[in-house]
Amino acid sequence: MSKSRLGELEEVVLLTVAILYGKAYGIAIANEMEERIGRKISIGSLQVVLRRMENKGYLTSEFGEATNVRGGKRKRYFTLTNFGKQALENTKNQRLSLWEAIPKTAFGN
Amino acid sequence: MKITDHPSPPKWLLRFFRWFCQADYVEDIEGDLLERFAMQTGELGLAKAKRKFALEVMKLFRPSLIRPIQLLPNHYHPAMLQSNLKTGFRNLLKNKGYSSIKIGGFAIGVAAFLLLALFVQDELKHDQHYIHKDRVYRLLNASTNPEFQFKRWPSFSAQIGQLLNEDYPEIETAGRLIVRDWYLAGDNQFRKATDKQNNYETGFAYADPEMLDILEIQMVYGKPEHALSQPNSIVLSREKADIYFPGENPVGKTIILNEDYERQFVIGGVMENITSSHLSFDFLLTLIDVEFWRGEQTDWCCQNYDVYLRVKPGTDIPALEEKLLAVKEDYILRNLIDNENQFAEIVKKHRTFELQPINDIYLKSAGYFDNHQHGDFKMVQLIAAIALFILLLACTNFINLYTAKSANRAKEVGVRKVAGSFRGDLVRQFLTESIMYSSISVVLGVALALVSIPYFNELAGKSLVFPVAQWWFVPALTVLAVLIGLLAGLYPAFYLSAFKPINVLKGGTSKGVKNSKLRSSMVVFQFTTSTILVVCALVVYDQMQFILHKKIGFDKERMMMIHGAHTLLDKTDTFKEELERLPMVESVTNSNYFPVEGTSRDNNEFWIDGQQKTVKGVSGQAWWVADNYIPSMKINLLEGRVFSKEIAGDSAATIINQTMARKLGLEDPLNQKIRSWRTWNIIGMVEDFHFDNMKHDIRPLAMFMSRRNTAIVAARIKTGNVSEAVASIANVWNKFLPNQPIRYEFLEESYANMYEDIQRTGNVFTACAVLAILIACLGLFGLSTFMAEQRSKEISVRKILGASERSLFQLLTVNYLKLVLISLIIAIPISWYLMQEWLTSYTYRIDMAWRVFALAGTLVAGIALLTVSRQALRLSFANPAVFLKDE
Repeated sequence: MSKSRLGELEEVVLLTVAILYGKAYGIAIANEMEERIGRKISIGSLQVVLRRMENKGYLTSEFGEATNVRGGKRKRYFTLTNFGKQALENTKNQRLSLWEAIPKTAFGN
Repeated sequence: MKITDHPSPPKWLLRFFRWFCQADYVEDIEGDLLERFAMQTGELGLAKAKRKFALEVMKLFRPSLIRPIQLLPNHYHPAMLQSNLKTGFRNLLKNKGYSSIKIGGFAIGVAAFLLLALFVQDELKHDQHYIHKDRVYRLLNASTNPEFQFKRWPSFSAQIGQLLNEDYPEIETAGRLIVRDWYLAGDNQFRKATDKQNNYETGFAYADPEMLDILEIQMVYGKPEHALSQPNSIVLSREKADIYFPGENPVGKTIILNEDYERQFVIGGVMENITSSHLSFDFLLTLIDVEFWRGEQTDWCCQNYDVYLRVKPGTDIPALEEKLLAVKEDYILRNLIDNENQFAEIVKKHRTFELQPINDIYLKSAGYFDNHQHGDFKMVQLIAAIALFILLLACTNFINLYTAKSANRAKEVGVRKVAGSFRGDLVRQFLTESIMYSSISVVLGVALALVSIPYFNELAGKSLVFPVAQWWFVPALTVLAVLIGLLAGLYPAFYLSAFKPINVLKGGTSKGVKNSKLRSSMVVFQFTTSTILVVCALVVYDQMQFILHKKIGFDKERMMMIHGAHTLLDKTDTFKEELERLPMVESVTNSNYFPVEGTSRDNNEFWIDGQQKTVKGVSGQAWWVADNYIPSMKINLLEGRVFSKEIAGDSAATIINQTMARKLGLEDPLNQKIRSWRTWNIIGMVEDFHFDNMKHDIRPLAMFMSRRNTAIVAARIKTGNVSEAVASIANVWNKFLPNQPIRYEFLEESYANMYEDIQRTGNVFTACAVLAILIACLGLFGLSTFMAEQRSKEISVRKILGASERSLFQLLTVNYLKLVLISLIIAIPISWYLMQEWLTSYTYRIDMAWRVFALAGTLVAGIALLTVSRQALRLSFANPAVFLKDE
């Protein structure tokens, strides 16, 4: 077993970052999450998760160019690391193996 | 698209966010915030977006995003700390004298602060320990009658306890207490029934059994509900039980008081010692089945009981106070009206009742007439202010002394800066240094306070102990040291670190910083305070001398008062006769009533006979004295004659004082009849003599002859060997009462004790004055050093140009004398006003003379001159080359 067990929110955020490949910064991630799975998230909660996963090594980040929108503030783009990718896959596999282990009769028809 | 076209979120929220957020995160998160805000403004409107924005900012305020709390930056390495401490120590050692003044002065300030803080803390904790303190009250009489000296007093008639317990469902329980000298309350001769030896004990009080519960007294032995429930039961404090019954349970043991075998007391329990309370007693006597005279328990004539009560939770106190007025209507007024007493009108109009929370009693009973020891809330506030003030003065002096020597450090600062030091490093260096200084000072201060606490206790009449063993003691002091260090070091740190290297290295001292105005006003302030305190101390001393040497109307010299003589019972007369036979004894008399505090007093109403139903009585003292009391006390008889045992009618005779005659309106008092519970014939009038504290007027007094009031036998000793006389009197005593050690004091001493409070006030003022002068001198010393530093070149140039040492000395001191003079001008009217106020509390007082102010002024100015002359002399005699070599 790998130690990299992901929290539920962490998993969702990582997946969203992966979806937005190359364009994943704070608000973009939040918006994407809202559009795809209808999940609203405050900047605070999102940033905490992002920074935590960056510290754990699932994500890296770098500043983009400054633009005229956002009060001239630069965006910080997050990308998945290999370790992050691995963690996601681990999680997926674990889930799948659990799904497969469910006997057919358990869900009735 | 221009940014300014967008509506912007509240600025202060953004600023707040930038302040708390970790620096690395600020930019992109702020961008996110703004982006979301812009989007939401479009979707929801500005107002709602703003609200959402605020919410977002609040949600960002979480530990992982907040910038770490950091007092020292990362690069403040332990090595740096070590280096800073080393520089600090070197500096300290370089100027040993100066450093010791700096640290010593600070330590004194800290010690004074600690002692005063301890005092304040001790005062504030009185009566705070009750679990139900919000429900326990003392019942007070309140009167709005302007003629009464006291506005509140706690005493009621006997029935009040029963009444409160039965008629008022709001009251959970109520109990009565008698703590003043009255019958057995007060002091007694105490012994175990199995012992022969009598012991004099004080601190007796009468109490209802309920009092143990109301006052939440913890029992060591016995149950609180049974300890006082039997007639003639007594409860001892742990302290006394440990003395008389060490290591055993004394419950059920028998006690004999004053050799009275008729009424023996049985110990019902042992209670914890009473501490930190307005009450102090070591023995509680039950009030069960007690009747001081026939019918006393149902008579509303007299007010002898204090009442304490605990109300039920949620009781409306003002409503209860209102309801209690029934007591006045149904009992107090009815009694007065039944007796046709003329006070009924006054009581009807002015009397109300109040419930005083128990935790207010100690500090907030100013102007109340009760027999408890009180603190003075105003005094406590004043002392707390003085404590902070002293600390502040010590801090400002520290700053003063620190910056005064700044020229010496200026070069160091210059070199450090040139070598690449940032200003922040220098600030940290100086702060480290000042915390080091303050830590040393606090340690010294604590040591000083520990050493001086016995003296302080004596001064303040307290028994304070340093809470050394408490867990918070060391941390609190550490915090204090760091805080003071920061406070005192902040200004010097920023002041010194602001020096420009180019200026200080060029050779000039920093000329830019001439804040001598601040320093001057500080000195004026300090000297004003000192002068006021000096004047106060002198006036108090004068008043004390005045009282001790005033003609008081009787002879207090060589009068030996033997206390506890009532246990002689019917042998009193023989005892007196034997004493009179001693060659050194001039005369012997006896009474319970003597003209010093601590002996009995008995207030009664007096009328000219026949007027008692028509006029208000004169309230005056009734004293029972031996036949030879007046000649023996050498009280001056103005008219008539003294008592005589031979004249049969003298048992109904009285001798009054002038005030009594005046108050009754008797022009020619001899052979007039006066009335107080019976009719008395006036046979003589004495000159007024001071039998109360001189704070008060002389009260009306009537003396009656009695052989039974023998608590004190007083023997006047002839001039000569006093100790020999005392020894022979003690011999006679031991023959009569071998089991009761003789207890005596001299009238003169008791008289002086009466004015102990003035003595104490005087001592406190003297101590504060000395402290204030010391601190002020340190301030002045700092100022003069600073100025000497600043003017060294000027003086040197003057000297080269031919100025004499004397003129230079004048030049350097005259400014300070001006400051001191200003202080005197400010201080004199203030102190005059303050002392005038203080003196008004004495009916018999001195007039303040100019002498006092002149003396105080000379003293303060002299000390100030001495302080500054050190620097002035040093500078005026110095070699000019020393100061000019830099140019």
